[in-house]
Amino acid sequence: MTTAETRTPRRLPVPSKPRRGLRTSRLVLAAVVIVVLHLLAFQGTGFRPVVLVEGWQGMAGFLAEAFPPDLDWETVLRPGLEATVVTLWIGLLGTTMSIPTALLLAVLGSRTTGAHPLVYQAARSVLSFFRAVPDIVFALIFVTAVGLGPFAGVLALICHNTGVMGKLWAESMEETDQGPQQALRTAGANRMQQAANATLPMVVPQFVGLLLYRFDVNVRSSLVLGLVGAGGIGLLINQSIKSFQFDAMLTHIIVVLVLIVVVDQVSALVRKQLSGPNS
Amino acid sequence: MNMTMTAPEVSTTALSVRGLVKSYGGRPVLTGVDFDVRYGEIVALLGANGSGKSTALQCIMGLADPDDGGIRLGGADLGPLRGRELAAARQQAAMVFQKVHLVPRLSAVDNVCAGALHRMPGWRSMLPQLYPRQIREEAMACLDRTGMAGRALEQVGRLSGGQQQRVAIARSLCQRATVVLADEPVSALDPHAAEQVMSLLADLAHTEHLAVATVLHQPDLARRYADRAVGLLEGQVDFDVAPADLTGEHLEPLYLPDRVAA
Ligand SMILES: Nc1ncnc2c1ncn2[C@@H]1O[C@H](COP(=O)(O)OP(=O)(O)OP(=O)(O)O)[C@@H](O)[C@H]1O
Ligand SMILES: [Mg+2]
Repeated sequence: MTTAETRTPRRLPVPSKPRRGLRTSRLVLAAVVIVVLHLLAFQGTGFRPVVLVEGWQGMAGFLAEAFPPDLDWETVLRPGLEATVVTLWIGLLGTTMSIPTALLLAVLGSRTTGAHPLVYQAARSVLSFFRAVPDIVFALIFVTAVGLGPFAGVLALICHNTGVMGKLWAESMEETDQGPQQALRTAGANRMQQAANATLPMVVPQFVGLLLYRFDVNVRSSLVLGLVGAGGIGLLINQSIKSFQFDAMLTHIIVVLVLIVVVDQVSALVRKQLSGPNS
Repeated sequence: MNMTMTAPEVSTTALSVRGLVKSYGGRPVLTGVDFDVRYGEIVALLGANGSGKSTALQCIMGLADPDDGGIRLGGADLGPLRGRELAAARQQAAMVFQKVHLVPRLSAVDNVCAGALHRMPGWRSMLPQLYPRQIREEAMACLDRTGMAGRALEQVGRLSGGQQQRVAIARSLCQRATVVLADEPVSALDPHAAEQVMSLLADLAHTEHLAVATVLHQPDLARRYADRAVGLLEGQVDFDVAPADLTGEHLEPLYLPDRVAA
């Protein structure tokens, strides 16, 4: 008698897929293309680890000069902290001030809200443009208008973030369940009403999650924007490198690390709360 | 219920479908469907999977474009109507879906108010918090009519399937619809909840004089709650009988495996 324990599991041969040969040759072709691309890229970037090993002394010298960090309150630490707060403000305003524009373009540039095809295409094009132009280019442009300083950084982030967040929001609207929107359409609601009362309430958690994610990214970006003159701690790091004050630079970098870790943790915490019991 | 329109006269035709034709990608789905629904009656639509029941309802609601045929809603021929006039004529009909299609994060009363969006002033229709007070109160009365007033402030996503379906029916009442089209409203519900929803739909037809057409996959429910049963087969109406006359002779050909549209 066979019991459940002694029974040998039944097996069946897995049917082989047709056109297997074609698939294999495609895989080989893809592998060859990828390898060739990498060889070209290694050459184009001068990617030779030997150079790194040979040049270790340079790095060691640099680090030796940077250690210990210069913790002088009046000349280094306080200006550094103040500039870090400015960096945070740039990231914050760059994110929040782009909400209206991103929301408008997302609603118009989402297939589900059923805007006129021309409007849809126009909104998509504007989003693509703002996304394609890097924030640092926007910063360089705005510096010529409003001068060096954090305001140029905020403007640059507003532009770039509108493009990125608008696209992400439009996509999350397209991915959400269309049923409630369709129900309101059959109830005689117009397109704006459908978007405001069905689509948007459905995607609020995703929208807030993406907003926090963008805030996180924008704080980092505002750091880099500082390097091209748009204020904040980036500017101080740039200045300390130019004047060979590597110990001051290290202090600023440590402060920045703390800021980024804090922002990252806080936004992760809030996002976790959002995706928690309620949705 | 405080519906402000005059109750339509019982036994006049609310919905009339004539020669409805619809094909998808050259494959005929409906090849000339005729049926009527009168005020005060509930009609069950029966038919195999793929027989075109949903397609017929979608054509009536404007969710699909029929290739041919005429649809009259509340005496108005939809054929020549366009734009706003067509939308206004269609507002007489409300749709109830198997998957309820409520917004899960919003409260029951907010969801019911959304049925009245078409008569809310522009900016006040953009946020539930701005909905006019009269509409909120009307929504409460609609929830009361479907037995859900006690759960008005709860998030819809937390209600059971049967409760959600009753909120969805309340939404169609708040729309002030006189014709309710329900596509498998009880297919996802347990037997008890299904009975509740079916008896609610039948009661709305009989006491509020609504015209109700509901797609059902359970002939037994049709027998007990409907005033008439319409069977769809091969794109046409195969039978249109009183439920008492609904026999195996009607039903067997409907669900024969080889008859099901491939
Ligand atoms: N949007 C569509 N595009 C292409 N074909 C469709 C579409 N909607 C329905 N069909 C086809 O039309 C036929 C009828 O579909 P319909 O959904 O109306 O059937 P049904 O009677 O409601 O079936 P069920 O009982 O499964 O809900 C099916 O063969 C289906 O594949
Ligand atoms: Mg169906």
